Amino acid sequence: MHDRSILLVEDNPDDEALTRRALAKNNIQNEIIVARDGAEALDCLFGTGPHAGQAAAPELVLLDLKLPKVDGLEVLRRIRSHPRTRLLPVVILTSSREERDVVTGYGLGANSYIRKPVDFGQFVEAVRQLGLYWLILNEPPPKPDAA
Amino acid sequence: MRLSLERRIQIGFGIAVAIILAVAAASLRSTAATVDSAIWVAHTLQARGELEATFADLIEAETGVRGYVITGDTTYLAPYQAARATLGTLVAGLRTLTADNPLQQRRLDSLETLVAARLERFRWTIETRRSGGAAAAGRAVVGDSGTEPMQLVRASVRGMEDEEERLLAQRSAALQARAREARLAAWTGALVAIALASLASVLVGREMAGRHGAEERLRLLVGSVRDYAIYMLDPTGRVASWNRGAQQIKGYVETEIVGQHFSRFYTPEDVAAGRPDATLRAAAATGRHEEENWRVRKDGSRFWADVVITAVRDDRGALVGFAKVTRDLTERRRTEQSLRASEERFRILAVTANDAILSADRQGNITYLNPGAERVFGYSAEEATGRPLTSLMPERFRDAHQAGLERYLATGEARVIGKTVELAGRRKDGTEFPLELSLASWTQGAEVAFTAIIRDITGRKQGEEQLRRYAAQLEAANQELEAFSYSVSHDLRAPLRSLDGFSQALLEDYGDRLDDTGRDFLQRVRAGSQRMARLIDDLLSLSSVTRSELQMDEVNLSVLAAAAVVDLQKSDPERHVTFAIAPDLVARADVGLMRIVLQNLLGNAWKFTGKRPGAHVEFGVTAHDGRRAYFVRDDGAGFDMAYADKLFGAFQRLHGTAEFPGSGIGLATVQRIIRRHGGQVWAEGAPDRGATFYFTL
Repeated sequence: MHDRSILLVEDNPDDEALTRRALAKNNIQNEIIVARDGAEALDCLFGTGPHAGQAAAPELVLLDLKLPKVDGLEVLRRIRSHPRTRLLPVVILTSSREERDVVTGYGLGANSYIRKPVDFGQFVEAVRQLGLYWLILNEPPPKPDAA
Repeated sequence: MRLSLERRIQIGFGIAVAIILAVAAASLRSTAATVDSAIWVAHTLQARGELEATFADLIEAETGVRGYVITGDTTYLAPYQAARATLGTLVAGLRTLTADNPLQQRRLDSLETLVAARLERFRWTIETRRSGGAAAAGRAVVGDSGTEPMQLVRASVRGMEDEEERLLAQRSAALQARAREARLAAWTGALVAIALASLASVLVGREMAGRHGAEERLRLLVGSVRDYAIYMLDPTGRVASWNRGAQQIKGYVETEIVGQHFSRFYTPEDVAAGRPDATLRAAAATGRHEEENWRVRKDGSRFWADVVITAVRDDRGALVGFAKVTRDLTERRRTEQSLRASEERFRILAVTANDAILSADRQGNITYLNPGAERVFGYSAEEATGRPLTSLMPERFRDAHQAGLERYLATGEARVIGKTVELAGRRKDGTEFPLELSLASWTQGAEVAFTAIIRDITGRKQGEEQLRRYAAQLEAANQELEAFSYSVSHDLRAPLRSLDGFSQALLEDYGDRLDDTGRDFLQRVRAGSQRMARLIDDLLSLSSVTRSELQMDEVNLSVLAAAAVVDLQKSDPERHVTFAIAPDLVARADVGLMRIVLQNLLGNAWKFTGKRPGAHVEFGVTAHDGRRAYFVRDDGAGFDMAYADKLFGAFQRLHGTAEFPGSGIGLATVQRIIRRHGGQVWAEGAPDRGATFYFTL
């Protein structure tokens, strides 16, 4: 299940739609799992709460930082502290370019930090490169056994 | 008690005279005895001679009688006649000579009888011859047993002579003894006199030598004293002696000053006031006069002198003169005066000080407090003096203070001394207040004393508290601002992305259903969204410029400018702008912020020369009011100086967006950065004549 899926952690439906559109425009066909807040993202990844027994094993996590309940940086910290998700590629995709967010994000083990441009053309280009790199060029770490 | 020399000499001489008189008396008596003895010897010899003469006269008379008897010649009777005349005298003389000797008197009696009997026989014989003739007379002579009576006379004379002989021997011996005594007495007297004379000579010599030595020592002592003028005045005030100190202090040498009146040492004012004589009168009246006053040296200069004048009187109390001892106290007076001045300075300092200044003794009792301390603590100086320092502090500090004081006195370990500490004080009315205390200790003679300078820091404490509150408020405001900025950066952009993204989606998916005007509208929506996104970004950068900490370092502005120019040229490779960048302009600044400054200023120059082909832009440094002013000069659109004050305000623009795009935030950011560096920024320009932006750091 969920083979080569992408976990999109995004609370804004507009951004979700635009991201889906950008992925589609770049012919990225992978399944997209959406989590609307940090807590849902964690449940989804660790098979807890509503996702009990069906932990997702995405190929890539696109993580917004400003999230309801559990914020993005905390989600990242939990991902990196769990052995099963320790090596999971996580790209921070956010509006913020506050230096401290960038620094903290990388400090917690983010693989990339991308600021969402307002210009949709630029956003599409960014998503294209991101998909190309992480889903095609990049050799992913070996899949851990599903919990 | 030690007798005076005169008295001792008198007594010595008295004893010597007595001894010599005694010796002379003894000698005289011996001599008189000798003479006496000699007279007695002569007496004896005379008595013997007269005895011999008596016997000889008698023998001669007998011989003459016999001659007459034989011859009848009467001339033979002359000795007999002479003997009759002298024998009585002789015997009387002998009686006188031997009057002292009863034995001789008795013998003389029998001798006188015998002599008288012989003379009677001679007369009878002579009568017989005359009357009886030669024969009768012969018979008378023969019948006269003549030899026997003569033998008796002889024996009597001999007895007397023997006695006189014995007396002579006795008296000669006595005479010799007397003479020996007299010699002895004479010699003894001479020796005693010599001994006494020698002794007196030695004693007087020694006394004189001692006296001379003492005088010499005293003279040397007085003469060699340099720090004191010691000299004598005669009773009228004329200088009688002089020492080295006097020469040193007053400048006169002995030969020129002795005999001069001492009033020349006084100032003319004192002389006019009659002080010299008054001084002598005072000294004569009371025995001693002391004063401190100005005196004049030979060269006319004045010195502050301590003068002691002592009246000198002889044994009978007659005024002999005055002893003067003068000391030059000018230096000491100067020192004292400067000490007084210094004391006065510090007193005024203490009196005018706003802070409380207190002194305490080793028991911790207050010995001094200044008006500032009176104000701060509410005690008057009279009330507080003698009180323990602890009465100026809240009770909870008193034990610690006492322990600290005792520890310091015992071990010298100081925890508060030499430092400034904050403590609490207690006013007279019992209220507490915060204070700052500087404590010092010093030794006054053998005693330890303390000085405290105390400042009431109630106001400062309140100020500090106020400052802390403000700082906390500022911190909270900053945090709020930060949260706001974060929120702006994140949340305000999201709708813009929707606007832009969905406008694009509309154009892509439904563009064929819109006419050109519809598509143009959507393009305007997208342009507006993107411009707003830039505005937001510029605002965020402006706020981050204000919030971030300055990282000061040596910054090569020339390198930063060159990098900014490279970026500009990349952004529009078609344009040809000549850049002149002065090399190696190094300043102490925050490198990140200076990069923003140069990007903005050079970006502006780039932008506003956009309409001028072959534009020139220069980055350099010049002097302005003694400081280095960096500048960016262009020959572009320029501006009207009337609006120069609007250049640096946020969102202020002098050109329409259509003419020159921009957010109006760049120069506001530059100004903030320069001001944070403590510098200034300003601009000069004229429309179409270019602009120059200056900044200092």
